[in-house]
Amino acid sequence: MGATDTIRILDGNTFVVSEDTGDIEATPSEPTGLFSLDTRFLSKWVLTVNGERLNALSYDDLQYYEARFFLVPGLATHYIDAKLSIIRERAVGGSFRETLTILNHDEKPVDLEIRMDAGSDFADLFEVKDEVLNKKGESYAEAEPERLRLGYRRGNFRRETVVTSSGRARYDRDGFAYTVHLEPNEQWNTAIEVQTHAVGPGGRDLRMGLRAHGTERLALQHDLEEWIAKAPRVNSEHGRVSHTYRRSLIDLAALRFSPISLGGQALPAAGLPWFMTMFGRDSILTSLQVLPFAPELSKTTLRILGALQGTRFDDFRDEDPGRILHEMRYGETAAFEEQPHSPYYGSVDATPLFVVLLDEYEKWTGDVALVKELERECRSALKWVDDYADLAGNGYIWYERRNSDTGLENQCWKDSWDSISYRDGTLPPFPRATCEVQGYAYDAKMRAARLAREFWGDPAYADKLEREAVELRRRFNRDWWVADGEYYALGLDPTGRQMDVLSSNIGHLLWSGIVDDERAAKIAEHLVGPRLFSGWGVRTLAEGEVRYNPIGYHNGTIWPFDNSFIAWGLRRYGFAEEAATIANGILDAATYFDGRLPEAFGGYPRELTKFPVEYPTACSPQAWSTGTPLLLIRTMLGLEPHEGHLAVDPRLPIGMGRIEVLDIPGRWGRVDAFARGRLDLHNLAQT
Amino acid sequence: MLDATTRFFEDLDRRGFEPLLQKTSGTLRFDLHEGAQTTHWLLEVDRGNLRVRQEDREADTVVGTDPRLFGDLVTGGENAIAALIRGDMTVSGDLRLLLQVERLFPGPADSRGPRHAFQREVH
Repeated sequence: MGATDTIRILDGNTFVVSEDTGDIEATPSEPTGLFSLDTRFLSKWVLTVNGERLNALSYDDLQYYEARFFLVPGLATHYIDAKLSIIRERAVGGSFRETLTILNHDEKPVDLEIRMDAGSDFADLFEVKDEVLNKKGESYAEAEPERLRLGYRRGNFRRETVVTSSGRARYDRDGFAYTVHLEPNEQWNTAIEVQTHAVGPGGRDLRMGLRAHGTERLALQHDLEEWIAKAPRVNSEHGRVSHTYRRSLIDLAALRFSPISLGGQALPAAGLPWFMTMFGRDSILTSLQVLPFAPELSKTTLRILGALQGTRFDDFRDEDPGRILHEMRYGETAAFEEQPHSPYYGSVDATPLFVVLLDEYEKWTGDVALVKELERECRSALKWVDDYADLAGNGYIWYERRNSDTGLENQCWKDSWDSISYRDGTLPPFPRATCEVQGYAYDAKMRAARLAREFWGDPAYADKLEREAVELRRRFNRDWWVADGEYYALGLDPTGRQMDVLSSNIGHLLWSGIVDDERAAKIAEHLVGPRLFSGWGVRTLAEGEVRYNPIGYHNGTIWPFDNSFIAWGLRRYGFAEEAATIANGILDAATYFDGRLPEAFGGYPRELTKFPVEYPTACSPQAWSTGTPLLLIRTMLGLEPHEGHLAVDPRLPIGMGRIEVLDIPGRWGRVDAFARGRLDLHNLAQT
Repeated sequence: MLDATTRFFEDLDRRGFEPLLQKTSGTLRFDLHEGAQTTHWLLEVDRGNLRVRQEDREADTVVGTDPRLFGDLVTGGENAIAALIRGDMTVSGDLRLLLQVERLFPGPADSRGPRHAFQREVH
């Protein structure tokens, strides 16, 4: 979408995307609107004064849930002598509220006709980028004396937008209007409320009583302050890292999402605007990234994903017993099974990562109760790995969608259609297996073995898991090593042929520990070598590969989240300088985005572009980009839970100066960590 | 002949314990409306222990739907979460309970599960 000049505010999965005037005029290329429950509730919201559109002097997005627009009538060329100012202040939180204030600066009184055109196409989020022409249900608009009601009905599926105003308005089917007389220096204001309803047959809303926090502005503000106060403080000598940290912390607060039905607990949603919902992979990886700073997100993520773990075979949803969900949606296409997201289970990494997160969470928090509570879910997840994911019968996790209409072809994090290829650029047949997922499976078994031994009282199961993990590691190092390139293949096809391209996925292998020690140095060398490392970060696919494209979604762009796990992996194998090189590049890039890392940016060499080029349709803020600086801080400071206390082993680049992280929560209570930049990365680049 | 709904509840009652609901406790009442007539099924869950009665009693979660749809849910012909979003099923009270019990509904009868490549080669 045209991301740069749109203003977004949000709370949970309700959000508003508008022009810089505050107006909404949705088109397929400008998918603005008021969205909630994966449905657009306003596609038109245009303010005029005496029939004239307004122009923006400035706007403030004060907090993630509120914004303010300063406007004047008329065209940009002659608004200098405007005699009227219009201020729109808006907030989301349960409903969408907008306060209009109009000031008359003229020495004469004025008579004004103030009008808001309002309309809704009730598009499903999956339809907003297409022309919404063939809605199967019927729309209606009802102007009542005290409100405007816009609605959409298809069978029992009903969504309604109800607009009311504190000031006396005249409602018609296309909007509402006020007639106002203002004396010199007089001002007028009115408060407009837009409520979104998902109406069931009994008239009840689907979402009743299901919120994590209050929806009033003050409650939101209080909640945000509390969230920030509870998190560790980060101070940095140059202010750069601490600024990025604070930005991330606030965005993370914004991205908390309480799924319908689960009692108001919050977990990280994937990202604004298109992914304000529960994603297994994204929620788990984000929880892992932010564990040292916000451990409670891990707890709710594990509980919620555990509660929705698959229990049966459902080919439409790609559901199997033990599988962790991929994506949940609440819109019309999910309701009528035109899309499978109720929920959809088509990912192969979320299930092993679920186990990884539980173990990592326990190491930080000592929350044994949760480990015991989720024993059954962990065992089911591991059983899924062995019984249902091994489609080729050779001990690896494979994927092939069973929903061939609307399921996902690629069920790993690089899920675009052309992301998985051979070196000659051709695409492999199915089933496919990608390398990083085998690493996650190895790690899940090793970690579950610890949990079984220490908390589940089942040493035999622990031994079995460890034997399987060791065996997996042995076979993996035999089958996936690309001899002529000295790295691991991106994937295997069912005949065992390697997808022998050099990709960022090898960095995840370090993180999961499946890499043979004597090969780790070679992997580290690739990761910071010129084909993969741009100067800002590690490219998803190496320069020189047939499908390499610096702005190819998964074929050459740089994903901050990917880099954060790569840096963590490098650190795990003792490559502190290489980890710091990546951390430094990504944190440098963050400063170009005012501390808010996008989903992805271009893989161009740093010396060529001098600044990181944002990927055109990138989502922002996106949860795992938001979590990235937090994991990079952990990595650089070498924060690691160790036998009940927090070990700190900092390796910072010289230019980063001094960094302190205060009040890191965990089983140790709260502790501080201090670090000073001592690494000369310049030396590394020359070796 | 017993209908699918009766079979489903009788099976739950006979099962007595369901490990998937080991962390779940509460009562659910299913009100199956057909014209003026409503059939009630009350499911009590106590840390996985199940008990079924045909009673119209207060419950933590009350689910309303028509008997035909419910019959489809308990035989895998329809999906409960989609039905809920679609408005074909209503829930008042604690929605979590329903989402846990919903996991006992079977998948579609024609769903085959994972297709193992090595099995295909055998044929």
